[in-house]
Amino acid sequence: MDINMKVNHLPALTYRFLKSNDSEIEIKDIKIKDTFSPEMQNGQDGVSVNKEASEEDVRKLFDAVNAKAESKKTDVPGPNGDTAPLNDAQSVRTGMGAQIDNLMQEMKVPVTVITADEGCKVSEPVMIRFDLKDGDCVLGNQVIHAKKDSEITVIMEYDSEPETNGFLGIQTRLLAEEGAKINLIKVQMLGEKIAHFDDIGGVCDDKADIETINMQLGAGNTWGGCRVALLGDKSVFNNHTGYLCRHKQSYDMNYVADQMGKKTESNMVFRGVLLDEAVKTFRGTLDFKPGSAGSVGDEQEDTLLLSSDAVNRTIPVILCGEEDVDGRHGASIGQLGDDTLFYMESRGIDEEAAKKLMIRARMESIARMIPDEAIIIRIQQFIRTIL
Amino acid sequence: MADNNKAVVDIDRSVYDIKDVENEQDFYRMEDGFTEDIVRKISEEKHDPEWMREFRLKSLELYNKLEMPDWGPDTDDLDMNLISSYVRSKSDMKGKWEDVPEDIKNTFERLGIPEAERESLAGVGAQYDSELVYHNVKDEVAEQGVVYTDMESALTGEYADMVHEYFMKLVPPTDHKYAALHGAVWSGGSFVYVPKGVKVDIPLQSYFRLNAAGAGQFEHTLIIVDEGADLHFIEGCSAPKYNVANLHAGCVELFVKKNARLRYSTIENWSKNMYNLNTKRALVEEGARMEWVSGSFGSHTSYLYPMTILKGDHSTMEYTGITFAGKGQNLDTGAKVVHQGKYTSSLISTKSISKSGGIGTYRSSVIINKEAKHAKTSVSCDSLMLDSISRADTIPGMDIRTDDADVGHEAKIGRISDEAVFYLMSRGLSETDARAMIVSGFANPVSKELPLEYAVEMNNLIKLEMSGG
Repeated sequence: MDINMKVNHLPALTYRFLKSNDSEIEIKDIKIKDTFSPEMQNGQDGVSVNKEASEEDVRKLFDAVNAKAESKKTDVPGPNGDTAPLNDAQSVRTGMGAQIDNLMQEMKVPVTVITADEGCKVSEPVMIRFDLKDGDCVLGNQVIHAKKDSEITVIMEYDSEPETNGFLGIQTRLLAEEGAKINLIKVQMLGEKIAHFDDIGGVCDDKADIETINMQLGAGNTWGGCRVALLGDKSVFNNHTGYLCRHKQSYDMNYVADQMGKKTESNMVFRGVLLDEAVKTFRGTLDFKPGSAGSVGDEQEDTLLLSSDAVNRTIPVILCGEEDVDGRHGASIGQLGDDTLFYMESRGIDEEAAKKLMIRARMESIARMIPDEAIIIRIQQFIRTIL
Repeated sequence: MADNNKAVVDIDRSVYDIKDVENEQDFYRMEDGFTEDIVRKISEEKHDPEWMREFRLKSLELYNKLEMPDWGPDTDDLDMNLISSYVRSKSDMKGKWEDVPEDIKNTFERLGIPEAERESLAGVGAQYDSELVYHNVKDEVAEQGVVYTDMESALTGEYADMVHEYFMKLVPPTDHKYAALHGAVWSGGSFVYVPKGVKVDIPLQSYFRLNAAGAGQFEHTLIIVDEGADLHFIEGCSAPKYNVANLHAGCVELFVKKNARLRYSTIENWSKNMYNLNTKRALVEEGARMEWVSGSFGSHTSYLYPMTILKGDHSTMEYTGITFAGKGQNLDTGAKVVHQGKYTSSLISTKSISKSGGIGTYRSSVIINKEAKHAKTSVSCDSLMLDSISRADTIPGMDIRTDDADVGHEAKIGRISDEAVFYLMSRGLSETDARAMIVSGFANPVSKELPLEYAVEMNNLIKLEMSGG
């Protein structure tokens, strides 16, 4: 089959010449031969797993929060060029959008639902590791459901040998009920001949919290999306993304925080490095919906450009239909500062070594947040190898 | 609660809303719509040279082919079949105010244009509907070799070759649908040429008044500031409010030559039935500087993003803008810059205020090309929401293609803080005055860039908007 679909729609369209309103996944003659059904490496008390859920089951799971979202709609118009209607059919809005749902359903990918029982604080991270073998073209679909006042950490790690060919597409949807917390950590260290997408969508009810850490270090072409609806009052979304793109790698991402409840908080940090002929497109949106009074949101992007052939596209968006909010975004894009280089060189570190040091420092500042020392070491090794 | 946003002010909006009756005896009005016949008639009316007639017809073809963008405000209520492309007084353009027809002169006098000319301007152009009715430049400025004339005279007179060389080269009709429409039916506007090394100490101003209901205004402004020269050009616009849509699709092309400087200031106060689909662009050569100061207060719908191309090494631009979107308005404004030369720098600073259901969108693009080594750009956009029935959106885009660039961007969105209102009230201000003062302070970075009398007008407009006028 051929995959040809538009994903990562910017929530509000802008000039066409920026070529950032969406992204196209075009892969010809792909043979999806398997679906990714995760083997959990450490079973936990208070965690149950259903590997054969249907999309209908997922829709039912999210029925209550979707009804609550519907009840919050107002007459305040959406932004100019609003793309929300494109994804209205989704059970849960995700960063990459409805086309990923359609692909999963067309390929009949079963959904694995991982549930943390009510009130259960799962002490150890649930580890899901996947090694892609040469020629594998697989899709995976999970839902992580944290019931009321529970807490769960899920670490998903994607690996392959450097020369492996293949395709890996993952969709992960998150439901954090009242007072619950989901920590989702994704570490991608695939070979450069692999095309990869990773689509995340989540909903937080009252006082719930979703925290994501995303390390994108490998693959050839990568599409990533993450959209979290802060539906409940005092709900929180924190994201930390680190990426390293080199050679002809491309990374196209779309992050959205839909702030719908009162006194919600979102904080998104993106830190990356572009080398060689790498291309990165970043879309980050804080969307303060009418009724989100008292909410705050912040997104910060910091990109280190280490090649005159790299391309960096950035669109940090704030949409606002509520008076009583505080939203801000900042972006800093450029090369290593002369002061930094001078400092390094005065301590005997030449320019090349200084650049490598700064790359590692940037990546490790995100990696260090992962609560698993073994993975941190693997990330360090991976970066050392590719540099 | 609604009264919290109101200030007690003594502003009289009626000065902008005066409607002059245009009868058939004194005014010529083209039939509504945009057809080849109409374009040929306009060309004939204006005694266009052959190349311009062809240019208009090709532009019309493009207009019919191009689509409206899908990213901006809705323009479905703008029925192009109900817009007249050309309305003019049957009186010719005058070089003295006293020769301008009485009713038109009265309108400009109420807007304070002749007084401003006497007191603080080097020259004035006044356009009423589709044609200039008055154009004059002070003798001492003309003696420096500064050319300030209407586009029609420039097109066929001494500067015909220069107009042919530059006209719609920077904003080609292929640019977008309304640039194509402009190419087809443009009329009026100003041509300015400032010779090498000439510094014009006081500003030139063009004022555009669209009086006719259901009409379009398509003026073309072409300014060439030659090497080492310096100019401040001010553009003002207003119209009375009608219950039918009016259209403004002007075009501004600015050529800033080596080591020259051009400041282009606009206070836009179109009526709130106006669709303002305007295009402005500057080409900046080596060591030159382009400065934009822009205040957008009027219009029902706006698409307005002045663009600067920093072509020459060491060229710079600064854009300072404010947009106030009130009831019924959808103002989509911002700036665009392309860095081509080395050591170029750009600074974009905008303020946006949304109130009473208004939609304010800041939209921008910063492109740094591969050749633009050592480029620097800084973008800062602040939005202020005055209630929860309005919208304030910020959609900036950046495309960076060299590692040797320094890019900074920040944006903030928020409300008037209760603490600030409380502080001012504790000093004796009413809540309404306190809020108006805070909004004026928010706009201060823009007003301080304007000549005093225009800053006063801008602050008056802010007060007017705050009062719900």
